[in-house]
Amino acid sequence: MSNHKINVTVNGEVEVVEVPANMTLLRMLREKLALTGTKNGCSAGECGACTVILNGEPVNSCMVLAVECDGASVMTIEGLSKDGQLHALQQAVIDQGAVQCGFCTPGVLMSAYALLQRNAKPTDEEIREALVGNLCRCTGYNRIVEAVKQAADQPETVAA
Amino acid sequence: MKYIGKSVPRVDALEKVTGRAVYASDMTLPGQAYMKMLLAHRPHAIVKSVDTSAAESLPGVIAVLTSKDVPANEFGYYTYDQPVLCGPCAKPYADRVRYVGDRVAAVVAETEETARQAVDLIAVEYEDLPVVSDVEEALKPDAPVLHPDVGSNQFGHHFLENGDLAEGFRQADVIVEADYNTPAQEHAYLQTEAGLAYIDEDGRVAVITTGQWIAKDRKQMAHALGLPEDRVRVIYPMTGGAFGGREDISVQIIVALGALKLHERGIHRPVKVVWTREESILAHCKRHPFRVHARWGATRAGKIVAAEVKMLADGGAYKFTTSIVTSNSVLNSLGPYEIPNVRVDAYDVYTNNVPRGAFRGFGGPQGVYIAEQQVNKLADALGMDPIELRMRNLAGEGSLQTTGAPYPPGVTIREVTEQCALGAGWELFRDGTGWNRKAGYGETDQAQSHKRRGIGVACAHKNVGFSFGYPESCTVGIELYGGREIERVVIRHGASEVGMGTHTAITQMAAEALDIPMEQVELISSDTAEVEDAGSVSASRMTFFIGNAIKEGAEIALQKWRDEDRPVKITHTYWPHKTTPPDPVTGQCDPNVAYAYTTQAAEVVVDLETGLVEVEKIICAIDVGKAINPQQVVGQIEGGLIQSVGYAVLENFVEKDGRVLTANLSTYLVPTIADIPEKIDTIVMEIPDPRGPWGVRGLGEVMNMCLAAAVAAAVHSATGVWFDDFPLIPERVLRGLGKLNGRTP
Repeated sequence: MSNHKINVTVNGEVEVVEVPANMTLLRMLREKLALTGTKNGCSAGECGACTVILNGEPVNSCMVLAVECDGASVMTIEGLSKDGQLHALQQAVIDQGAVQCGFCTPGVLMSAYALLQRNAKPTDEEIREALVGNLCRCTGYNRIVEAVKQAADQPETVAA
Repeated sequence: MKYIGKSVPRVDALEKVTGRAVYASDMTLPGQAYMKMLLAHRPHAIVKSVDTSAAESLPGVIAVLTSKDVPANEFGYYTYDQPVLCGPCAKPYADRVRYVGDRVAAVVAETEETARQAVDLIAVEYEDLPVVSDVEEALKPDAPVLHPDVGSNQFGHHFLENGDLAEGFRQADVIVEADYNTPAQEHAYLQTEAGLAYIDEDGRVAVITTGQWIAKDRKQMAHALGLPEDRVRVIYPMTGGAFGGREDISVQIIVALGALKLHERGIHRPVKVVWTREESILAHCKRHPFRVHARWGATRAGKIVAAEVKMLADGGAYKFTTSIVTSNSVLNSLGPYEIPNVRVDAYDVYTNNVPRGAFRGFGGPQGVYIAEQQVNKLADALGMDPIELRMRNLAGEGSLQTTGAPYPPGVTIREVTEQCALGAGWELFRDGTGWNRKAGYGETDQAQSHKRRGIGVACAHKNVGFSFGYPESCTVGIELYGGREIERVVIRHGASEVGMGTHTAITQMAAEALDIPMEQVELISSDTAEVEDAGSVSASRMTFFIGNAIKEGAEIALQKWRDEDRPVKITHTYWPHKTTPPDPVTGQCDPNVAYAYTTQAAEVVVDLETGLVEVEKIICAIDVGKAINPQQVVGQIEGGLIQSVGYAVLENFVEKDGRVLTANLSTYLVPTIADIPEKIDTIVMEIPDPRGPWGVRGLGEVMNMCLAAAVAAAVHSATGVWFDDFPLIPERVLRGLGKLNGRTP
């Protein structure tokens, strides 16, 4: 398997990473950069646990090859809070009790973040549409919808 | 109270929303090697030989494990009936694979990719055996026997007899009788099974893994590895969901064996394994499907006088927790009713299907489906409102259980049913009519004439704690540090945080019992080297049991503190009310420590053209005794209800001749955010359980018990058709409506 050196901006930091041609973005984040906040639930684009933001769009990072990210900008759950300040979405997930086992949570937060970036005041229907690719087996989703609504009503960051 | 009853943020929430929370699959240790297992991928065969030479010679391969490497090649929750690695060895019949997820070999290599390649190079010679995948076929005299040492595919018989059944049916004015099939269900926890094994600083073999009960994992590991229990260590970090599916061993023994084998060869390297989604679905247990015949009778006055139930539980290839699941189903197949004359027979049956085991509700949802369909049909046959019929039969304080013993104190199913009924539009008429709901049955959707609406109701009790004479207990460690004042509290406990919020509940209860701020309570969690046995996080037991242990232990610890002990270090064990096993002749017993109660109503819309059933609204009343953290209580109820919506109308685990046709999340569908009801009304009641700490009842499973039956009743009210098999996927509904021919897989 041939290796490729790529330049990728992850959470604002430029990283130079050597990756095999068949390595997914998910594996690169977890294994090369030790960013284990992004979870692997299926490796098949079915569960959404590995959702990250790639050039502004939410993607299943298990379905993207790392080599495709040469020159790209990636944001993961580790990049959501800035300078010790939780993002409004993170605080809302805590406030609304929208986290249980937490394994889907990073992916849910990434999808929700992408939604709020393009639509600051989403309706319930739009929230459901944006999160339809993120499976959660614990919460039943209602708390998650409430959390996104809370965050949409607030400034972008709140004190941690 | 200062801390109990407050919706404080979860103690693990910050870690989880920032991605810092660590799960076993996230962990790495220096120099770790990777393991990949060879699954049988065939349902029934004898392993004649395993040739590992090609795999071993692949560069990067460190070791290949087979049956010959396992000191005692057997494990299991109650009975050691499953080989760790199937293949020729000293243990009779351990050379057989009995389901597609059985493990035959494992490779340890420098990388996961190399391990995967090497697995493909292992040459296994199989002699295929006839496959039996149907419970009735499995009981025929000429059926292939999965476990020749057992001698038959029937490995358990559970029964209950009380009263005079023949006399009961003689008194009955109406009798309803039907055959039912309940489906398998896949847990689909988001985190697949994972393990990281190493030799720890004290020379123990340790595994950081996913699970529900460290002590039970350790016991089975020690047995299979031929080690004393104190030479084995089990650690759970955060676990990504469980729902019963992690009650049994998955990767623990094999990954530990890998680290041990390397260690014996002078290679001191940790070994890590993570199952793929397909491996998880093929290998771990499922909810038991039941095939049932039920016959119940009632008088015209609405008194249920006789109930007869016969059940076959498909246990799959190995026992797992089947026998207790089935026993629990026996109890639940009669519901929380006073029925004077009953007879239940239930059989555990081996098949070449994926093993069945614990799944939230533990046999309850299956039994309840039977009981509640029967009650709803009796109401229909009597022309009586289903709430009214229940009110004439539900148990109350001082009632006897169908097993003959009095109910544990604090019976509230009547209060719960009343609250659900009121919340769902029922009224109590004082003119002799009793409970009734005027509207909502079989209405046509105003806007879409091909859609019909309906409402249905069901109720249930759920045991709290292990049942039927199991020696239940729960031990915690409590440590108090400080000088004049207590400055810091350490709680040592074995309650696995699988998502339900047990760490938060423990912190709140400890703060309350010791009257100290939550911030000063530190937990040392789920590590057999650091904590005593708290029992399993299952059977809705942990908050109830560990709460009592903390409450009782806190009094002892505080007394020592007042006696000037510094620091105070105690362990305390809570011993609950002793239950009894079924009588060998009648099956009668005092089965349970306590119960939680729920009644649920479902409103559905049925599309008569597509067969799609949409659950639009759920009204769920649950008596939780005392909500330690009201927000988390509601969240857990909602999550369990959505799993139940999946069980009722969506989740279809399909096996054919022992092969799984739904081995991923695009073929096995669980509810997405687009599949949830528009509205869930959760009615949380707090009527204290006299045996529970601060009045707490168990909560973890009760919401999962009865929704499928409420949905089936709702679909009947919408369409006039009783569905005795589910899930109510469009295909099955269309067949029921006479619009499709053939059988639904």
